Amino acid sequence: MWRTGRFPSVGAMENSAPQHGNPADLVARVDGLGKTYGAKDNQVAALLDVSLGIRRGEFTAIMGPSGSGKSTLMHIMAGLDSATTGRAWLGDTEITGLADDALTVLRRRRVGFVFQSFNLVPTLDIEGNILLPFELDGRRPSAEERAWIDQLVGSLGLGARLRHRPHELSGGQQQRVAIARALATRPDLVFADEPTGNLDSRTSREVLTLLQAAGREYGQSIAMVTHDPIAASFADRIVFLADGRIVRDLGKSTAEEISSLMLGMERAA
Amino acid sequence: MNRLSLSEHGPSVLVAALSAAFGVSVLQFVGVISQALTADRVTGNSGTVAIFLGIVALVFIVIAVYVGAIVTANTFSTIIAGRTRTIALLRLIGSSARTQRRAVAREGLAVGIAGTLIGALVGTGVTAATLAVGVAAGFIPGGVSFSLVSPVLILPMVAVVLTTWIASWVGSRRVLVVSPMEATGAAHEQSRAEASASKARTAVAIALFVVGTVVLVVAVIVGLVNPLAVLIGVVGGLLSFTGLVVGAHLVMPVALRFVGRLFGDSAPARLAAENAVRYPERSSRTTIGLVIGITLVTMFAVALQSYQNLLTAARDANPEYYEGVDEAFATTLVVFSILMGFSALIAAVGMVNNLSLSVLQRTRELGLLRALGFTGRQVRGMIIAESAQLTAASVLVGLVLGVFYGWAGAQSLFGSLNGSPGFVAPDLPLPFLAGVVVLAAALTLVASVGPSRRATRVTPVAALALD
Repeated sequence: MWRTGRFPSVGAMENSAPQHGNPADLVARVDGLGKTYGAKDNQVAALLDVSLGIRRGEFTAIMGPSGSGKSTLMHIMAGLDSATTGRAWLGDTEITGLADDALTVLRRRRVGFVFQSFNLVPTLDIEGNILLPFELDGRRPSAEERAWIDQLVGSLGLGARLRHRPHELSGGQQQRVAIARALATRPDLVFADEPTGNLDSRTSREVLTLLQAAGREYGQSIAMVTHDPIAASFADRIVFLADGRIVRDLGKSTAEEISSLMLGMERAA
Repeated sequence: MNRLSLSEHGPSVLVAALSAAFGVSVLQFVGVISQALTADRVTGNSGTVAIFLGIVALVFIVIAVYVGAIVTANTFSTIIAGRTRTIALLRLIGSSARTQRRAVAREGLAVGIAGTLIGALVGTGVTAATLAVGVAAGFIPGGVSFSLVSPVLILPMVAVVLTTWIASWVGSRRVLVVSPMEATGAAHEQSRAEASASKARTAVAIALFVVGTVVLVVAVIVGLVNPLAVLIGVVGGLLSFTGLVVGAHLVMPVALRFVGRLFGDSAPARLAAENAVRYPERSSRTTIGLVIGITLVTMFAVALQSYQNLLTAARDANPEYYEGVDEAFATTLVVFSILMGFSALIAAVGMVNNLSLSVLQRTRELGLLRALGFTGRQVRGMIIAESAQLTAASVLVGLVLGVFYGWAGAQSLFGSLNGSPGFVAPDLPLPFLAGVVVLAAALTLVASVGPSRRATRVTPVAALALD
């Protein structure tokens, strides 16, 4: 079912202007972002003039086919990679051109990550993995943070697993630990990079429901990179990338709507 | 993948070359000394001296080659662990595990031959140069024309080639358990099969150690009345030490954990402590070479020092018996330390190599840590701490063992000496201890330079993109 009023028309696909909104409501934004790889005469552009704001408390999906630049966009927004042109902010902090150490501390305190696989440090037990961001900061969680972590561990069903090592857990359980770790520091923004890419469909749904609940119940802002329409259908907003540009910016949609839009984009390409 | 890659096998070639150079050079020196003795008829019983020298040389060479073989076996198993994906892919398209393992062993043979040839040339060069300097300085009689090439040199060379070959075979055991499925799945933490050692091996290790220690204690007691007790002591020492080497997987992780705790509670230190014992089998093998080297060097230092203490005590009792015996000690200690220290050097090469290989295989994990907020400095600190732990644990165990064996040796040989007080406490010469600590610190830094640079150069994005 298409709630057409909220969507740009299909004709406006090229250069649909992203909604910047009030910067105070944006937890992260990029402006005129470009990223090229390779030497001068052999350049490949991963991103071309991308401007986007991630709204506070929203679950945003960044979608696109392989090679569309969605991972590059996420890496730059998370301070993992640097842009060739344009600027990026996390909250009020401009992260463009920040030194490596400053970026590292920023990631540690204000960003959470859930990757597709290899999320956990194999030599640490589950509790050690969840507490790692605090330890890297050289501190113990405060009583309030401790209570929050206990609540997360309880609601993610990890209570009995705290002393286990990652390799003793199933893929779905490992992703839940990654989510607990990402939420533990109450970061400004959690980045999830294909968080269900390695999971079966039932476990995928569980993980996505958890991410959705983190947004709805705790007001956690989440940006998820995915190419799976079902995963994207759990998000409040879906941004489409193709060939390094934002081509669509939708509100909540069903998997069918997202699929047919993707297919349409494939045919147009 | 069957082509020799220098970056992977360079260190093994170096280890083989060091062993071969040592073997060839030591034998050449023994040859030179016996030729000099034969030329100088005054010495008289030169035949006995030459045989004695030959036996001592043999012991040193066997130890060096043995340590080299352990290092090479360990290096190969680390390389294989890093190649799991490739091996699995080849298995997937139809190559048998045995073919794969034979291919690895062929690489080992090539490494052994290359290393031995290089080593023999370098060793001969060192001998010739030392000889030229010695003749020029007048230490060695110049009138004799020494021949450096002798058929006996083939022995260490063949030994090094064979042990390298066998070591590569032993180290490639894991090839057999690589499942073709590992090529298809996502990169997972390597299986911990590597960690489990057989119960039989543990039992043999404990039995050897216990029996050897009992024999050693008997030797010390018998030594109070008869100096031949040292022969019993040698048997006891060999048995118990072999037990320790075979059972390294029981001893070293404990030592590593103990040392790891001394490094504090910060996240990098704790991760380093965990990394050092991540594969107990692998870290045991990485460190045991160094333990052997340090034990031997310490043993001789302590034995000589204890001997000196016994002599001093005995001389105080009857001064007329012992005159002018002190001088030889310093020289003997230096010569023996160099000869023994060579095994420690080979072991150190192995440690450096293993640390860099294991960091290389951990790229993905380092990327994750960087993404989660490890600064470059924290990563560097973690790798230096890991290197320091491996070194410190080896040195600690080596010192303890060396002090014990050295004291037991001196006690069983000289306990019955005329005027001896019976028992003397083991004594570790302080300059020696200081030297060991300085060298260990240097080794820690050298071992961590390459790996930590590589680890901090990797960007999180590149590391995470690895599959």
